[in-house]
Amino acid sequence: MKKVVSLCFIGALGVLLLMLVSSMPRMGDPGSPTNRRVVDRYLEKAEEETGTENVITGVILNYRGYDTMGEVTVIFTGLAAVLAVLGREKRGRVYAYPDRSPVRSSIIVRSAAGFLLPFIALFSLYTVLHGEISPGGGFQGGAVMAAGMFLFAAAFGLWKAGRTVPPRLRFAVEGAAPITFFLVGVAGLLGGGEFLAYMLPRVSAGLQPALRTWLTLLVEGGIGAGGAMIFISVLMALAREEVGGGQAA
Amino acid sequence: MGRLLDNYHYAVAAVLFCTGFYSVIMRPNIIKKIIGLNIMETSVFLLLVSLGWKEGGIAPIHAGGAEAASMVNPLPQALILTGIVVAVSTTAVALSLVILLYRQYGTLDVDRLMREEELEVPAAGPEGGEG
Repeated sequence: MKKVVSLCFIGALGVLLLMLVSSMPRMGDPGSPTNRRVVDRYLEKAEEETGTENVITGVILNYRGYDTMGEVTVIFTGLAAVLAVLGREKRGRVYAYPDRSPVRSSIIVRSAAGFLLPFIALFSLYTVLHGEISPGGGFQGGAVMAAGMFLFAAAFGLWKAGRTVPPRLRFAVEGAAPITFFLVGVAGLLGGGEFLAYMLPRVSAGLQPALRTWLTLLVEGGIGAGGAMIFISVLMALAREEVGGGQAA
Repeated sequence: MGRLLDNYHYAVAAVLFCTGFYSVIMRPNIIKKIIGLNIMETSVFLLLVSLGWKEGGIAPIHAGGAEAASMVNPLPQALILTGIVVAVSTTAVALSLVILLYRQYGTLDVDRLMREEELEVPAAGPEGGEG
């Protein structure tokens, strides 16, 4: 009975949504309301106003800089919540299901992962650094890096992954994204500028465009490094299981 | 019903949303509920990114002298990046709570959890709470 009611509800919801879809403006229409309002301004002015050729990067880091600052705080808070629930691993005491699995990962998996990892790391660096003029950016590069470490942890075990990216490094870099955002924002304030304007008022006007590019890159790098470390720390917290758990809460 | 076939991205988003919703309310396993939640989030991302698409549009990147007039809408893409990050964070928090639930009760079945809660909470109170 409960199932039938739920299925009817879902079916009704689906029909309602499909009816809405059929009355929406045609997909891809350049004149549809979403493509008419502010978009032209962003597309035409973004390059000179934000100094990035990738308009999306300009929107994320510059036009909507406050929003993105809140966003990096959200993933940092997510990590904080995970650690508050599960606890941080103790130094040298990382045990996990993958490590105690009776089936070790085969030599094929391990050598393939070892072969791929440098390329994954390189690609993530490229994604962060080249994100201004090609698809990419800090979050994407950080996610690629974290995915590489997940692969490493799946192939070689969590213990070795925890040694490769030691806790000391992770603790230090986890907060990189909000910190770089804050520092770049405050740097703009010093000397009477605006918060997160990506410029230093004391520097001569000729240097401002280059400075803006470098500050954007700095924030991207902070987001990438911080995001990657946060994802790795979440993995370590979720997959870990300390032996004899319970006595040292 | 005229534009249902033209707007096939939106239609797929609606179907995905219902699929995820089905998983959330019908499946007893909590992990599958979380997977359903993620499917729902993905459907919303698909809908919003498709809203910004233009016929024959190119990526909104000025490199190589691309013309601004033919670029797709950059705003939904920027918003979706925020959405994805928030989805990842909520999923991480949800999974950590699930791990705690499993350690405490040894099951992820919601129906069993609701029954077991009545039985085991008094016993698990004093010395429980590992991690």
